[in-house]
Amino acid sequence: MINGTVVDLSRTQFAATALYHYLFVPLTLGLSFLLAAMETVYVTTGKPIYKDMARFWGKLFMINFALGVATGLTMEFQFGTNWSFYSSFVGDIFGAPLAIEGLMAFFMESTFVGLMVFGWDRLSRGQHLAVTWLVALGSNLSALWILIANSFMQDPSGAAFNPVTMRMELTSFQELIFNSDAQSKFVHTSIAGYVTAAIFVAGVSAWYMLRNRHMELAKRSFRMAALYGVLATVGVITLGDALGFVAAHAQPTKLAAMEGQWKSEPAPMPFNLIAFPDQARQENHYAIQVPALLSLLVTHSLDGTVPGIDALQRRAALRVENGIPAVEALKVLSKDPANAAALAGFNAHRQDLGYGFLAQRYEADPGKATAGEIAQAARDSIPPVASVFWAFRLMVGLGLLMLAFFVLALLYTLPNVVHRKTWFLKVAVWMIPVPFLANEFGWLTAELGRQPWTVYGVLPTWMSASTHSVAYMAFSLIGFVALYTAFISVEMYLMMRAVRQGPEENWRIES
Amino acid sequence: MKTFAFFVLYMLLAVVVILLAVLLGADGAWYFAWLVGTAMIVLIAAAGAAMLDAQEEQAAGRVAGKPEPRT
Repeated sequence: MINGTVVDLSRTQFAATALYHYLFVPLTLGLSFLLAAMETVYVTTGKPIYKDMARFWGKLFMINFALGVATGLTMEFQFGTNWSFYSSFVGDIFGAPLAIEGLMAFFMESTFVGLMVFGWDRLSRGQHLAVTWLVALGSNLSALWILIANSFMQDPSGAAFNPVTMRMELTSFQELIFNSDAQSKFVHTSIAGYVTAAIFVAGVSAWYMLRNRHMELAKRSFRMAALYGVLATVGVITLGDALGFVAAHAQPTKLAAMEGQWKSEPAPMPFNLIAFPDQARQENHYAIQVPALLSLLVTHSLDGTVPGIDALQRRAALRVENGIPAVEALKVLSKDPANAAALAGFNAHRQDLGYGFLAQRYEADPGKATAGEIAQAARDSIPPVASVFWAFRLMVGLGLLMLAFFVLALLYTLPNVVHRKTWFLKVAVWMIPVPFLANEFGWLTAELGRQPWTVYGVLPTWMSASTHSVAYMAFSLIGFVALYTAFISVEMYLMMRAVRQGPEENWRIES
Repeated sequence: MKTFAFFVLYMLLAVVVILLAVLLGADGAWYFAWLVGTAMIVLIAAAGAAMLDAQEEQAAGRVAGKPEPRT
């Protein structure tokens, strides 16, 4: 049995690494296409201001890209070092998209990034534009493969457990790539990056306009960011709904936690706008509800329902009982893979193997699990409701705030009067942290909502970690947090310095 | 007041667009939508910049006392 503290520290370390890394990624995803847009205008109109814009924002892109790569590499190593059982159990499936990401998307992105930075005076306009588009495509393809791997953890499609090799094996690459969670999550995440970049560009441009500096660049950057951002925000909200719709089918416990839905209710179900979920009592305090909205949001009809946590927990208890014989059969098969009776027993209960593992946390021989232990295992199948509920609401709230910001930004930039709206320019500067926070809350909703599983319904988190010592994990966690805090500080220093300097005067002379 | 009215109008428009997309595309071909959507977003942002150039040229023309081009 793996020490519970080691599991918690492993989770904290991965969460910290991912949350740090995820401060860099969305800006890279979005800024790359915004650079492509600016350079497209430069190539089509021939106006040097757009080249200045592409070079200036490209410099900020590069600072962010370099530090994003530095924080991302360690995450892939952590699968092997801190999650060795997980890697062994699902490595055959999970490793494929990660390898493709490294070999195809990341190599492509990294190669063309070099050409993008150093190629201004060496490539023709058309060639450089192609390179910039390829950087944008490569960055987003990189995210695609990572999110396909992540979606397998949320909705393990296209794979089956092999009781002889004791590993999950890929059965359909197509299902892995095209599962609904992967599709909606990739688009949601990618265009959330566009929104992040749009707010960042709008905020920095607003800062210039407030100081009456680089007005030509700032007004054009702001206009492009406002249009890019408003469309992307509408897309993010739409895809967020699609993701919720998918979760209602693939991850009902996550959806119930997001909505604080303790009890199953008849249609049309009300939506908890605000509530304070109490996990111990399984109820909400001070709930403010909107009638019928939940049915409409998650089933797209007024007569649709989704199960509450009470029903999901009862269902989990049955699955734990059904999964225990699968775990017992697996123990026999581990010693005697040719045992036909054990194989037949395993196949009869294999769909609930993961739930059998939940019981094993309390009883090494799950066949001896008491009714109380089975009930506890069923309770474990529910994620931490208050955290998921509030992370989700904060993400949505910030998303709606950004939509309102972009609508107002359009109202001011389309008639070209935004530079006179001092109050709005100040707001735009203060908006810069908002998308970063929204992205983090989104990530927390997705990953906390997946608990108690590393692979939903298949492999519990408690048995996925490596058998490190507590001291080793605590030491490495402190090291990572210190290092990444330093990275963030360096990024912010370099970004602020580059912004204060503004576009370099010699760029046009060079060209 | 006029700005506020337009703000409400645009927000309503955004809500209608989101509702339409939600109702039409619960299980959509999202990868394809991303390809088309990204190209569209980039091109609209680019068109916005070109439009700003035209607006500033027109405004500069007015300041210099030139007649506005007929459309």
